[in-house]
Amino acid sequence: MGRQVCIASAGFSEHASKRSDVNMPELVSEAIEDCLKKVPSVSVNDIDAFVNGNMPAFEGSNIPELWMTDWMGARNKPLMRITTGGTTGGSVAIGGYYTVTAELPGIDTVLAIAFEQQSQGDTSTGLASVAYGEISVLNTLGISYEQLTQLLSAGAAIGVASYQATNYMRRSKITEEDLARVVVQNRHNAANTWWAHLKMPDLTIADVLETPYISYPLRYGMVCPASDGACAMLFTTEEKAKDLCDIPVYVNGVGSVANESGVLGYNGSGAGQLDTSEQLGAMKSAELAFGQAGISFPRKEIDYAEVYSPFPNQELMWIERLGLFEENTASEMYETGVTALNGELPINCSGGVNSTNAIGASAMERPAVAALQIMGKASNQVPKTVHTAIGHGWGGIINLITMMVMSNKPTRKIK
Amino acid sequence: MQKVGIVGFYQVKLLSDANYGRYEMIFEAVRGALDKAGLKKKDITTVISCTNDYYDGRTISNAFAVEAGGAYLADESKVEMDGAHALLYGMMRILSGNHKLAVIWAGSMASCFPYHSARLFETDPIWERPSAYVNDITAAGFQMRAYMEKYGVSVEEMAKVVVKNRRNASKNLLALEEAQNPNLTVKDVLDSEIYADPVTELMVAQPCDGIAAILLAPEKQALKITDKPVWITGVGYNQDAYYLGDKDLSESKSMRLAAKMAYEAAGITDPIKEINVAEIFEAYAHEELILKEALGFAEKGKGAFLNSEIDGELPINPSGGALGGNPPCGTGLIRIIEATKQITGEANGYQVEGVKKALATGQIGMCAQNNIVYILEGGN
Amino acid sequence: MSKRTQRKSMGYIKKDYIRTRTMPGSWYLSSYRFKFNITHFKPFQDKLKERKLVGLQCSSCNRVFFPPRLICGKCFVKPDRWVDLRETGRVATFTITYLKDLETGEVSERPVVLVQQDGSDTTYTAQLSPDVDYKDTYIGMPVKVHWAEEPTGGLMDIQFYDLVEDNSKDLELRKD
Repeated sequence: MGRQVCIASAGFSEHASKRSDVNMPELVSEAIEDCLKKVPSVSVNDIDAFVNGNMPAFEGSNIPELWMTDWMGARNKPLMRITTGGTTGGSVAIGGYYTVTAELPGIDTVLAIAFEQQSQGDTSTGLASVAYGEISVLNTLGISYEQLTQLLSAGAAIGVASYQATNYMRRSKITEEDLARVVVQNRHNAANTWWAHLKMPDLTIADVLETPYISYPLRYGMVCPASDGACAMLFTTEEKAKDLCDIPVYVNGVGSVANESGVLGYNGSGAGQLDTSEQLGAMKSAELAFGQAGISFPRKEIDYAEVYSPFPNQELMWIERLGLFEENTASEMYETGVTALNGELPINCSGGVNSTNAIGASAMERPAVAALQIMGKASNQVPKTVHTAIGHGWGGIINLITMMVMSNKPTRKIK
Repeated sequence: MQKVGIVGFYQVKLLSDANYGRYEMIFEAVRGALDKAGLKKKDITTVISCTNDYYDGRTISNAFAVEAGGAYLADESKVEMDGAHALLYGMMRILSGNHKLAVIWAGSMASCFPYHSARLFETDPIWERPSAYVNDITAAGFQMRAYMEKYGVSVEEMAKVVVKNRRNASKNLLALEEAQNPNLTVKDVLDSEIYADPVTELMVAQPCDGIAAILLAPEKQALKITDKPVWITGVGYNQDAYYLGDKDLSESKSMRLAAKMAYEAAGITDPIKEINVAEIFEAYAHEELILKEALGFAEKGKGAFLNSEIDGELPINPSGGALGGNPPCGTGLIRIIEATKQITGEANGYQVEGVKKALATGQIGMCAQNNIVYILEGGN
Repeated sequence: MSKRTQRKSMGYIKKDYIRTRTMPGSWYLSSYRFKFNITHFKPFQDKLKERKLVGLQCSSCNRVFFPPRLICGKCFVKPDRWVDLRETGRVATFTITYLKDLETGEVSERPVVLVQQDGSDTTYTAQLSPDVDYKDTYIGMPVKVHWAEEPTGGLMDIQFYDLVEDNSKDLELRKD
């Protein structure tokens, strides 16, 4: 069952902190245009189905796909909305893959779109509302508002990440300088990516370490910006992709495993993830995706990786957990330049989420960039030839992980 | 399209103000479906949830429901539309060959939020929302009026749909108690409080609390799990124009196209003869007529003249439909469960005789903007 | 397909960049009534009044949840066995928050910790005693419950956690 799926193209809108020149549908339109520009023989009418998603509740629009029907060209076409918080983009990309591989009658070419216009809404309220229901439980159980305020300030994405950072730093014995080095590499890479948000070609480690703490051990200079942007990916069948582009990128494995929530459990109960940097879910996702793709030695077989890392400690953690490096060696790789643009295993050459974070779109931009690197069409193209690459995403209360393994040849076994 | 088997299902009793916690309700539905099929947690390979962040009052509403939905270390995702759309995603995952057992759960608790004001977030933020004239109820008013005027259908015909569905619901133990009424008359419906003329209170499917769950498996596994699997042989889904002025409100083009896709997949040429029972998601009484026509059961404007009682020409909504209780996001999945029950003969009290093929639909948006249709068949 | 209908997008790309019209709107979370079940919390709360801690154990995988949980996600069953827990625990992880006093503008640095109660398998968000300097916090730090003056059966009965002397051998290593 199932058939081979290829990525024929991927496109981005321009990202900035405030895209006040466009509204949400227009932003999406930009990404679609950039995506379809790369495949001259496809027009918007040739698309059979749409898969969409963004982080809901940030922009104050419920199911905005209904609104942007005409801007996407989805009128009288099948459309599905998938949202999973931070991993929305990755989930949408995976949704696009499943829509093609399922062989539904009349559906061959699928456009997957993920977007976010954070300047339209209040992101901090949005993030606080993730745990609003759970925190109100704590309140009725007798925890005062004073303490809840403190919990809240540590409860949103940054809070979860700082717990994780403390855990990871203890585990792998790294310093803040190591974290800053990751940021510097990302921001330098972003400077060469046309659609990236925070472009800082001259940033140094000292600059990063000068900024004040936002929440120990993370500093203002280390965390991702809040961006507006959209990303689109074109999924199609093997036969069609061969006609459409020179190097079709095969999707060989996908995974989106959920774990117990970290830091705060449901109903305000305790968290099951004792060590938030252990990431059982990520390992399981990687196992699933690599298993489907027939990859036994990710360390040797992967040429390029895009991981979802709004915070530098996560970048180090993910590349270890996903099996690209031995445990506690990731920061060394940044020091020795293995992960740089011309290194052995380049990581996040687009600048990563650390430089551009349109939340809903971010997790899709990872596989999108990885696919473009394989095609040789990426904005900050690595000099070596990329055969196999991965795109990763995380979200929720550090409990949802998405993975996509792509390659220039089909390795997925069709049962 | 290869067929996919429904191997288990469970629906909690619909309640207007349930004495339940959210996670407890999700757990009951998913655990119930697993127990019914005789399966264990370790058999689950993928879980698709369907809730809406605005209806739940929290962003990433699936993040905390991982444990309750049985998704711990399983391939999890969320579709934020109707439960029927979530089932489609689960089906795609099964069809890909990557998964052996998919759990799909959907539903919400309407007692936690003002449902119709959350629907306001679906309107266009620039033109429609500031004036607040357009919400789902007034949009239904536009549509009902447009349909009545164009085809000369009287408002009594709409009321008859309500009478039929609420009477059917009274035989369905899982339906919403407030919606069950065996002795309802057309006059009662028309005399109930007016919401947006000609839409009256009883014509609106009442939002309520409820979660439903379905288990899907590929053909080979399905036959191992159960002796009486129900197969999904066709599916179609489609999106209509957004602005109410951009489409002909008196018909449903998206449902027509969705039905075309589903009928082609299932090899159905004459729906009225081949399909024995239909479960249609009608958020408002008139939608049953419009969707019935779009599905090819009747000519345009003639929907009201097709006998859709349980013993009629084509029984529609023998379970009471959405008018018998409308848990946001869950209603579409419940329609599929009811259609499944009709095939397996488990619909106690409202069983239609000799059902071989059944049809179920789901929808979201103002005036049923996005529609999805399933064709279900019995037999091994 | 004819050339005329060949289009790359729906043609909504803006050529002149003008600021878009903005519309105010809000998401009123205050109108939501979050429901939850606390019947499984009852024995836990009763014990808190007696200054005793109990956790809920899953009889399938033997994991102990503190505070109690409705469902064990791993086994997908409701845990139903109550076990007594000790008052001591360890810091599983921590972060330091920088809260600004709105009136004085003073920034106070306070650690927020996740404590794993000895004998339980989950962590719980809590605060440390105000006497502890935030710089001294480290992962693995042993702590002990500081009870409120008059326990009321709420989670605030555990007012904060006091420090316990750490005599483990790898202490210096961990403090790094």
